[in-house]
Amino acid sequence: MSTMVSVQEVTKVYKRGSEELKVLDSLSLDVPEGEFVALMGPSGSGKTTLLNLIAGIDQPTSGAVVVGGRNIAVLSEGELAKWRSHSVGFIFQFYNLIPVLSAVENVELPLLLTKLSKKERRERALTALKVVGLADRSSHYPRQLSGGQEQRVAIARAIVTDPQVLVADEPTGDLDAKSAEEILKLMETLNQEFKKTIVMVTHDPRAADRAHVQRHLEKGVLQLR
Amino acid sequence: MKYLPFVFKHLRRNWVRTTSTVVAMAVCIFLLCTLRSVLSEVDSMLEASSATRLVTRHSVSLTFNLPVAYESRIESVPGVKAVAKTIWFGGSLPAKKEGQADETEGDSTTDWSKFFNNMAVDADKFFPMYPELTIPPDQWKAFRETRQGCVIGSKLAKKFGWKVGDRFFLESFIPPYRKRSGPFEFEVSGIYDADLAKYPGTDVSTMYFHYEYLKEGVGREIGVGTYALEIANGDQAASVGKAIDALFENSSATTITETEQAFKASFIAMAGNLAFLLNGIGLAVAFTILLVTANTMSMAVRERRTEIGVLKTLGFSSAHVMGFVVGEALLLGVLGGALGVFGSETLLYGLSHAPGITEILAGMGLSGLELKPAVAALGLFIAVALGLFAGFVPALSAYRAKITDILRTV
Ligand SMILES: Nc1ncnc2c1ncn2[C@@H]1O[C@H](COP(=O)(O)OP(=O)(O)OP(=O)(O)O)[C@@H](O)[C@H]1O
Ligand SMILES: [Mg+2]
Repeated sequence: MSTMVSVQEVTKVYKRGSEELKVLDSLSLDVPEGEFVALMGPSGSGKTTLLNLIAGIDQPTSGAVVVGGRNIAVLSEGELAKWRSHSVGFIFQFYNLIPVLSAVENVELPLLLTKLSKKERRERALTALKVVGLADRSSHYPRQLSGGQEQRVAIARAIVTDPQVLVADEPTGDLDAKSAEEILKLMETLNQEFKKTIVMVTHDPRAADRAHVQRHLEKGVLQLR
Repeated sequence: MKYLPFVFKHLRRNWVRTTSTVVAMAVCIFLLCTLRSVLSEVDSMLEASSATRLVTRHSVSLTFNLPVAYESRIESVPGVKAVAKTIWFGGSLPAKKEGQADETEGDSTTDWSKFFNNMAVDADKFFPMYPELTIPPDQWKAFRETRQGCVIGSKLAKKFGWKVGDRFFLESFIPPYRKRSGPFEFEVSGIYDADLAKYPGTDVSTMYFHYEYLKEGVGREIGVGTYALEIANGDQAASVGKAIDALFENSSATTITETEQAFKASFIAMAGNLAFLLNGIGLAVAFTILLVTANTMSMAVRERRTEIGVLKTLGFSSAHVMGFVVGEALLLGVLGGALGVFGSETLLYGLSHAPGITEILAGMGLSGLELKPAVAALGLFIAVALGLFAGFVPALSAYRAKITDILRTV
């Protein structure tokens, strides 16, 4: 099995005035294709920071981040944006749906950056909604949906461009146990049936149990278990 | 443009805010355009008032007449081109038909609702001074040759349905202009008109008849109410007027000579001040609305920091995001501006075309009131510039912000 995500000797330093805060310290991590990894660790340990680097919405101070065979640590901001649009899907803790757009329009949003026709975009968005089991809610607005439903719409949005990698930052952090369970099941399905490589940050041990691999981060360093 | 529906979505979902923003913007642009138009009209009116026509009257009151002998003396004053005797007749249609003499002298049977302006003038001298009054040549010829002839303004003709050849009677409420045998009889010889576009404010509802007819009718010397005079050079109005008044300084009937525009001019000065004041207030109001509107638009953008962060995360370039946000603000600006300009155009067009109001405006010399393309363009430009500015500044900060910083603050 080839490596989908390879984080190599990555250091991330935040500068706050003259103060320097080393959040990640020469961290290395390999995620094979089709893997489902759970990243755990105490608050402030750098989980989100690492996830952002893998997803290409932030860049490391030093080191390489190779995703799908491409070192994204050296890309310009514009190149990164383009890369993100087709290579990664994002799932946030607070869903981050756009309130003025209906479910299907939210899902369709990433497709606006493709060359697909209006009809094709709509079809794909509806297909993605079907995958997450919300085909019947396509015209609902975010505030008409429950938290779990909102998160499922967000997942549909993450997979609509068919990226190889999904990143999720505490996807169940804001949900009740039942909804969380549904979301985790859905993520398992995406991993097993749709062969998505998933990197998920979570505090929830039950969520972590769903993953194949659990990695623990402590003060910017991965713990061996 | 596939992103356009996205822009509209926001405006549609927040329709209350969208509407109020557009309306506020429209009101502001409306105020700006309308006030600019009124002010520029007043300005042009001020510029256009050159006085080549003067009026000499008795210094005590308009009710005192001047001696006929003044005519030749005024004519001799350097700078004076022509002089014409005029008398404000004060005649009105008798309530009684086909005017039999009233048994009781001075019995006031005047029907004031039918009152109109009528003057006895020295036609041959008077009308050449008023080139803006146009009379068909044959009618003019008939008027000159008819003792009882008169010419009436087109509006007056319309009001009473009078045609050339119609006859009517007038009786003055001023006793010296009455004759024992009854009201004066007149025949409509001609109907005059004026190009109101070229000569705004020209009166076309007066009746003019022959001075000589009045004099013969009452059977004695009646003097002259006012002398209308034309001078060669409008710049000398003041000095010529002074020279004329100096001429009669020591006589029994002293005079006041002022430009025909004098009253108008003082009105214009007043209107000018008023317009200036209105413009000042209007601009202040408009400016305030502008600031409030800009602030609302900016807030709308700021509220969407998260959304901007999400869009950027999904792979939309900073330029895309910028386009959405600025495009939206721009759209509001264009809508508001267009609405404001349209409103202003509608009002100004309405005012200058509504029966009744048009005449009042024309009376004030404001018959050319219109929204000039330059003013409309300025209004639109301000609205668009403001929309751009209000959207651009907050959008720029979102444009520059790093995704991680935006989404952290969620
Ligand atoms: N943009 C930034 N600027 C400065 N410091 C930052 C920035 N982002 C994160 N940090 C700091 O880096 C450290 C790690 O942050 P990070 O968000 O990665 O932690 P985390 O493991 O995701 O924590 P949590 O479980 O609470 O989400 C924290 O001390 C945080 O204050
Ligand atoms: Mg975190």
